Amino acid sequence: MNLRHRITLLIVLAFLAISSIGGYSILQSRNNAAEVKVVTEGVVPSALASADLVALLKDVQLATITLVTAPDENTAAQAKDKLTAQKARLKVGLELQFRQASSTTQQGLLQQAQEGLDDYFAAVDETMQFKLAGQKDLAEASLFASVAEYQRAMEQIIGTLRIEKNRTKDEAITALNENLSDTVMAIAGVSVLAALVLAAAGALLYRQITRPISRMQAMMSEIAASQDFTRRVPVDRMDEIGHSIVAFNSMITKIQESSELLQQKTADMQAMLQNIPQGILTIVDGNKVHPEFSAYLETIFETRDIAGRSMMDLVFANTHLGADALSQLEAVGGACLGEDVMNFAFNEHLLVGEIEKTMADGRVKILDLSWSPITDDADTIVRLMLCVRDVTELRKLAAEANEQKRELEIIGEILAVTQEKFHDFIAGAIKFIDENELLIRQHPEHDAETIAQLFRHMHTIKGNARTYGLQHLTNIVHEAEQTYDELRKPRPGIAWDQAMLLDELAGVKAMVECYAHINEVSLGRKGPGRRGGERYLLVDREHIQQAIQRLETINTRNLHELVAARDAVRKALRLLGTEPIGEVLGGVFESLPALAQELGKAAPLVKIEDNGYVVRNQAGSLLKNVFMHLIRNAMDHGLETPAVRLAQGKPGAGLIRLKMGVAGGMLNLRLSDDGRGLALARIRQMAVEKGLIAADAPLVDEEIARQIFRPGFSTAEKVTEVSGRGVGMDAVNDFIKREHGRIEIRFLDDAVGADFRQFEIVVCLPESLAEHVDDDQVLLVERTRQEPVAAGSAAGPDQGAHEAEPGKGNLRVV
Amino acid sequence: MAQILVVDDSSTVRNEVADFLKSQGLAVATAVDGKDGLDKLKADASIKLVVSDVNMPNMDGLTMAEKIRSEQKNTAVSIIMLTTENSPAMKERGKAAGIKGWIVKPFNGPGVIATLKKLAS
Repeated sequence: MNLRHRITLLIVLAFLAISSIGGYSILQSRNNAAEVKVVTEGVVPSALASADLVALLKDVQLATITLVTAPDENTAAQAKDKLTAQKARLKVGLELQFRQASSTTQQGLLQQAQEGLDDYFAAVDETMQFKLAGQKDLAEASLFASVAEYQRAMEQIIGTLRIEKNRTKDEAITALNENLSDTVMAIAGVSVLAALVLAAAGALLYRQITRPISRMQAMMSEIAASQDFTRRVPVDRMDEIGHSIVAFNSMITKIQESSELLQQKTADMQAMLQNIPQGILTIVDGNKVHPEFSAYLETIFETRDIAGRSMMDLVFANTHLGADALSQLEAVGGACLGEDVMNFAFNEHLLVGEIEKTMADGRVKILDLSWSPITDDADTIVRLMLCVRDVTELRKLAAEANEQKRELEIIGEILAVTQEKFHDFIAGAIKFIDENELLIRQHPEHDAETIAQLFRHMHTIKGNARTYGLQHLTNIVHEAEQTYDELRKPRPGIAWDQAMLLDELAGVKAMVECYAHINEVSLGRKGPGRRGGERYLLVDREHIQQAIQRLETINTRNLHELVAARDAVRKALRLLGTEPIGEVLGGVFESLPALAQELGKAAPLVKIEDNGYVVRNQAGSLLKNVFMHLIRNAMDHGLETPAVRLAQGKPGAGLIRLKMGVAGGMLNLRLSDDGRGLALARIRQMAVEKGLIAADAPLVDEEIARQIFRPGFSTAEKVTEVSGRGVGMDAVNDFIKREHGRIEIRFLDDAVGADFRQFEIVVCLPESLAEHVDDDQVLLVERTRQEPVAAGSAAGPDQGAHEAEPGKGNLRVV
Repeated sequence: MAQILVVDDSSTVRNEVADFLKSQGLAVATAVDGKDGLDKLKADASIKLVVSDVNMPNMDGLTMAEKIRSEQKNTAVSIIMLTTENSPAMKERGKAAGIKGWIVKPFNGPGVIATLKKLAS
């Protein structure tokens, strides 16, 4: 039975109770009214009438006495009529009493009264006869004797009747009163009972309604207070409240689900904020930092005091920003927060994208800032999000990358010039620069002759630098030359300024010295180099001399010999403009002993198998640039120190091997070394740290190896002078791609998945860059500690293993 | 007939902003203070957007904005404040006066013009 039914039942019960009480009351009042009628119309008048009987009796007595004492006949006759009338009234009165007799006592008394009355009337009639007969004395005697006696008897009976009637009347009134009182009591009792029953039913219903409701309310309050959405309100009865509770419980279930989802999301977010290697914060009213921010922010700003702090203080204190920029930043927060999102567009340009912040210990961090608005449904900006990245290292790397790229390019430029020519160039340039410095210092004022002299000197340096293809130097020299050129004009656009000119000259000198430094230190080409003849011509001449000899000794009549001579000459001519790879990379090899010393390693052996191929001069610069870096990498990362090598049973000095050939329409140059191999585990770790690959990326060894060609990659534990600045392989890859070639890493062992694997780097270039001399294998064994030309004969017995394998074609030592 | 009313007591800022807006192909009217701004706005019903300085003699920008709403019952015109600073109290008044945006000087962000054009047309 549901609540509605129960409430309806309660109302019906109340209605029934009230109705029955009403009906009972009506019934009782009707009964009482009838009784009252009986009392008022029957008992009371009857009692009154019984009192009248005494008076009637007295009237009869009086009429009798009047008759007896009547002096004459007339009077007597009148008295007789009156007596007769009085008798009749008495009789009627008595008969009336008969009809109203309510008890046997009364009826008995009335019976007695009837009989007494008959006797009394007989005596009266006898007395009247005596009188009427003139026997006055007899009449008087009868009157005083029998009439009076009967009269006394009648008086007695009527008196008793009267008392009886009064008693009956009193009893009836008492009974009536009692009945009324009973009715009142009954109605009161029934009413009280009904009230009690209804109250009990109401209270029960009330409890049934309020208890589950208050329990639900209590549970709701508890759930709201504890946020424990696992709790449910128990259902007692499936009435309306029960349904409400079920609905409430299912709502809680939904809340629980969405709360769990929210918690999950919050947890995810927290985890992200805790682990993301980026500073993320949001700014709320008053430019304060919201308490939720990424943990990495503490690393960037080197403080734990972040939540609730002023953005201006946390982020922008001790930065390079001026007071005005700071005031603008401060105002932007106010202009955006709580306003429409368009305000972000209005003011975004004032939000600084990069700051240089000085930390407590004086270090300067470069921080990259990116801003975005967080809006609500109404597109109102509720917070500003700020992502902070520490780009100090990145900027440093980029600067170093540029520096190294420049250095690589300079190396390439220098290597294209022979040592002796380069030495002469540098010496000449320094001489001119020093002369210019002296000229500038000697002339505080503008002097046309001096300026002409300055211009000539600088023009010469520029011309030479340009001739040798020293591009970086040419650029800076050109600027100085332009300055002098301007000063030469009749109306120069600039004034003669000694300090400025000296500054500019110092810049030129620094660049020249930079070239000289790279030449001497990086390339190890100290001194003027070998005079007398170029190595390129040496090779060329050999071929030509052989051809000339053939031509001079030819028997012109022998057709066979003629053909052979023609072939020899053709070959010699074809080789014009080419160089053996060993020659091209001579400069690189020359620099290896100095490099080895710097790295604490033994100077390596270099073994070149050119398989009869030479390269075109135009490839020289590229090959120098590329192999300079690759061979230096091998020295730095591949070859171990002598102690390590000897402990592993290898010779103390490492071996670097370069093989040349043509395959698949490409010139292949394959470089390998007998060092520790490619550090795949370390490469993978570095790539993950630098965010190049995911930590769990399922990469095969080849894919891991490719990472070293990606920008910003370096496996060196520390940045060395030699390599490991993280841009080399990227730059090498670029160089080769520019020449329509490619670079690959091939593994030479089967140790798939090992931390270190033996490998070779294969540089593929268009075949047109190579020329085949003959099928003879040209093998160059170079002991770099020695003079390259004498290398073959100087190989010691301990290096025997590195000698070319005998029997593999002719061995030719250049 | 103008789309934008530029209100600033500094002739430098006023002309700079007006020239910039004109260069972007917008029709611009100028006023030297809040009072002048109210008069100009009353006289030219085609003005859709008011770009106003805050601190000005005679009548400041916020008061002008309030009067535009209360006296002229003009709810169609968009009002943008050009300012160097803002306080919560200023923003509160601005909100009540239906100010749509706050541009922190200088007035040269790339994000500004596109939105202003939209508001002015």
